[in-house]
Amino acid sequence: MSELAIAVILAAAILAASTISVELGISVALIELALGVAVGNVFDLSAPGWLAFLASFAGIVLTFLAGAEVDVPQFRREWRTSLALGAVSFVAPFLVAMAFAYWALGWSGDAAQIAGIALSTTSLAVVYAVLVETGLNQTVIGKRIMSATFVTDFGTAAALSILFVAPSLWILPFIAVSAALVVGLPLIAPWFFARYGNRVIEPEIKLVFASLFLLMWLGDKAHSHAVLPAFVLGLALSNHYATHRKEQERLRVVAFAFFTPLFFLRGGMNVSLSALWANLGVLALLFGAKMAPKLAGVYPLARRSCAPHGAFTTLLMSTGLTFGTISSLFGLEAGIIDETQFSLLVAVVVLSAIVPTLIAQRFFQPSAAEETLRQPGTIAEPVLNREGS
Amino acid sequence: MPFRRILAAIDGSEASDRAFATALELAQLIGARLTALAVEGPLPAYAATVGEVEEVKREKDAFFGRLLARTERQAAEAGVELDVELRPGHAAELIVRVAAEKQADLIVLGHKGHFLRDHLLGSTADRVAEHAGCPVMIVK
Repeated sequence: MSELAIAVILAAAILAASTISVELGISVALIELALGVAVGNVFDLSAPGWLAFLASFAGIVLTFLAGAEVDVPQFRREWRTSLALGAVSFVAPFLVAMAFAYWALGWSGDAAQIAGIALSTTSLAVVYAVLVETGLNQTVIGKRIMSATFVTDFGTAAALSILFVAPSLWILPFIAVSAALVVGLPLIAPWFFARYGNRVIEPEIKLVFASLFLLMWLGDKAHSHAVLPAFVLGLALSNHYATHRKEQERLRVVAFAFFTPLFFLRGGMNVSLSALWANLGVLALLFGAKMAPKLAGVYPLARRSCAPHGAFTTLLMSTGLTFGTISSLFGLEAGIIDETQFSLLVAVVVLSAIVPTLIAQRFFQPSAAEETLRQPGTIAEPVLNREGS
Repeated sequence: MPFRRILAAIDGSEASDRAFATALELAQLIGARLTALAVEGPLPAYAATVGEVEEVKREKDAFFGRLLARTERQAAEAGVELDVELRPGHAAELIVRVAAEKQADLIVLGHKGHFLRDHLLGSTADRVAEHAGCPVMIVK
């Protein structure tokens, strides 16, 4: 099949995913992943080089956006309580899933590390949606969960960038340029964005993309991954974006309209349904290897710091989606894991986005109104309440 | 039975507009106090980015802001005392809960009649009628 024919199929799938997402109220990323699975398995497409390249870049853009979406002032207020929660939420499943993949499934050391990283994640977006939907994002418990999620994400990004480094001189410019961008970009952003921003030619988005490409190139040269610096760069610019929402929105429009659909479609296209079918037992065990340490590790801490909603907090901290997919795709692209291992990891990641969320919402969801009464000074539901007009 | 406190569930649909008009007329006629409750439906489930959630949330806030402002105008024109509430969550569950909180003695809501969904899952009106602790008026 020609590359243009593949582009037509992908464009149709991207369009279909966005309309299905609106109709069903399910995240477009999940639909894109599902359509990617369908396209990859029905058409038996081999992904062209340009798709792999754009998907890799999209993964970095997603990571940057995740960093830029962190509420830094809120994290500063909550970090002491959230640090242990977020750290355990990363370390426990990372170690257990890695050990399980290595010893029980016989995966290579590097493949087991990818499994550990991919299954250690907590999805900030899934957590955020549940909290906003219930108004709990305005309460202390909601803010604490969001901060802990950031800690877990940071652990995942750090592990992905550090664990696979092959020492070479390129690591020095990679670290130096990363540090220079993280420190320098927030300093020049106000001037640059004021001088060149608010134009349809979008110099400010091009500045971010150029920085991310530079990080990707240096990361590649250093046999590392640009995930960590991209995440930290987003974090460094988060205050700027918090006061310049329009710029952030335009960046999101560009990312969501073109880049991120290719990332999730590419992820889905590499999932082999036949491999999953043949390994359903392994899939269940890997799911357990993510959930069991998350539940066992996070619950004792959550019971204290997020009382009386320990179970709800633990289940939300057990979700995963974007970083899990990014880690798995990195492993596949780098030749660390094969297609079957990738299919299993992505399937577990998707299951972990759905199953704990459903259980948390169905059985453990606290009422924001009760939370407000419990913790005076916080604002919760109703979102709007105007008495007597 | 004299109704002193009426709860009208609104969502901007034609059916809900008809229900609110009926509730307003009734409240005006019998001098009842009226509460308009709008329930913000779910955000994109299992989102991959915070941006996706924020965008939908912003759209919903804008939509319901306009809806509630219009509702307040209509009530002011009719000379009816009105509270408006916007809450996130599950529609049927919240309508029943807010009715109990407000000690409403009548719930008024519309029926959109989505054949397939109603047949498979039951409508919001069906569920409210089943679980409410007060009379329910369903306006078609």
